Amino acid sequence: MSTGPTPPTKPQVKALNCPGCGAALTVRSFGNAVTIVCDSCHSILDAKHPNLQILQRFKVATDEVRPLIPLGTRGKIRGTDYAVIGFQRRTIHVDGLPYSWHEYVLFNPYKGFRYLTEYNGHWNDVSILKALPEVHSYGITPTVRYLGETYRHFQTAQAGTSFVLGEFPWQVRVGESAVVADYVSPPRVLSSEQTGNEVTWSMGEYIAGNDVWKAFRLPGSPPDAVGVYENQPSPMGAQTKAIWVAFAGFLLLLVVMMIGFDIIATNKQVFTGSYRYDSNQRGEASFVTDEFDLPGHTSNVEVKTTTDVNNRWIYLNYALINEDTGKAWDFGREVSYYHGYDSDGSWTEGGQNDSVAVPSVPAGRYYLRVEPEGDPGYGVTYYTVTVKRDVPQYSLYGLALLALLIPAVLLTWRTLSFEHLRWAESDHPPIKWGNDE
Amino acid sequence: MIRSLYLLYGAVVMAVLSVAQYQGWSLARMNEVKNVPRSIRDNPGAYRSIYSSYHHYTGGK
Repeated sequence: MSTGPTPPTKPQVKALNCPGCGAALTVRSFGNAVTIVCDSCHSILDAKHPNLQILQRFKVATDEVRPLIPLGTRGKIRGTDYAVIGFQRRTIHVDGLPYSWHEYVLFNPYKGFRYLTEYNGHWNDVSILKALPEVHSYGITPTVRYLGETYRHFQTAQAGTSFVLGEFPWQVRVGESAVVADYVSPPRVLSSEQTGNEVTWSMGEYIAGNDVWKAFRLPGSPPDAVGVYENQPSPMGAQTKAIWVAFAGFLLLLVVMMIGFDIIATNKQVFTGSYRYDSNQRGEASFVTDEFDLPGHTSNVEVKTTTDVNNRWIYLNYALINEDTGKAWDFGREVSYYHGYDSDGSWTEGGQNDSVAVPSVPAGRYYLRVEPEGDPGYGVTYYTVTVKRDVPQYSLYGLALLALLIPAVLLTWRTLSFEHLRWAESDHPPIKWGNDE
Repeated sequence: MIRSLYLLYGAVVMAVLSVAQYQGWSLARMNEVKNVPRSIRDNPGAYRSIYSSYHHYTGGK
């Protein structure tokens, strides 16, 4: 690839004939093309020679590729009109497998040459660099810096030209090869092409197939992009960062809310009573407590049970009953505490206390109906029941945190998966956990 | 787009949390019973709790 146009007064099209087969040649960049390829006999001609000397003839395989954008098509790239004047297919081999991409040579008589590349439906708008990037070849992944941006090495391979068509601003040959190294910083890619001692740097920017079709007013729709390309911008990349920033904001708000509700919550003890339950005693164990008032707006009621259970359990059937309306909240709580010592050392299970929040209880006059249960033979258990009004529920903050976290984590996972797919195709694939083979 | 959706979603979560805290929502399992007769105060044993058949844990390690 090269630049350096010789701008004519206006774009010229000159008709010539191929010296190989006599077919008419259409030259769209007269004075700027170095080689022209005959579409009929596939002769590569020296455009600088007065008689278009034949430089090379190549055979075309049966699977000859036709350009997706026909030569001569005009389109607007970044506000400038360009004509497609050349097309080539280049191939690299990785692990013995060929991977081919296509390059389109674009020409504007005032702006010079520009290139479009296409691989599996992924397009790049490419231009030649006018300054050399700074190469840092140390470290696990070499990098280059250009215009303040760091590009990570993606892949280095020997690329061969396997098909050419149209005009080229350099001495193109089928079979010629160059060492191509790509460094990525999506949506851009810096590429170096080394042929002998000559190194050419170019910069590509990812462009959607639909934008190419729109720019060149092509019929139909572009081929679907397959897989993840080396400099394809992650559809979630920028969003993920924004989501985490928003999450941090919500987290702060959550802390403020927690402090605020802690301050305004009355957390008021409205009843307490101590009781004795003898599991050996026959007869009705259930009883009702004295009445108590639940003040304020509709809020929760915390019922706390404190016991002296030791290697046993007590079960309490509770009913919080509204004296006036007859509405009851019915619930059961088991308090069990076990401990011991075995070959692993000492252990404990459960605890002697329990608390539960009865949700959304309107203000009013209430009492508790309590029915204790225990294994016969346990004997006497002492327990205290304490009732509090409007107690902050921290588990709700946990749920809210989880609800806020899940979308952020899912989005991050999608972003990481995208990057994983990107780098899986590089010379620096992500570490594989486990054996896939 | 996704950020806007997330902001909207987060705002809804915070709003629901505010209502939940103010109204005293809880994760505890409760059974609401209507029209409990006043006679319960005199005869607590007449009330049948749906939790009375609970399978009690009698274990330990």
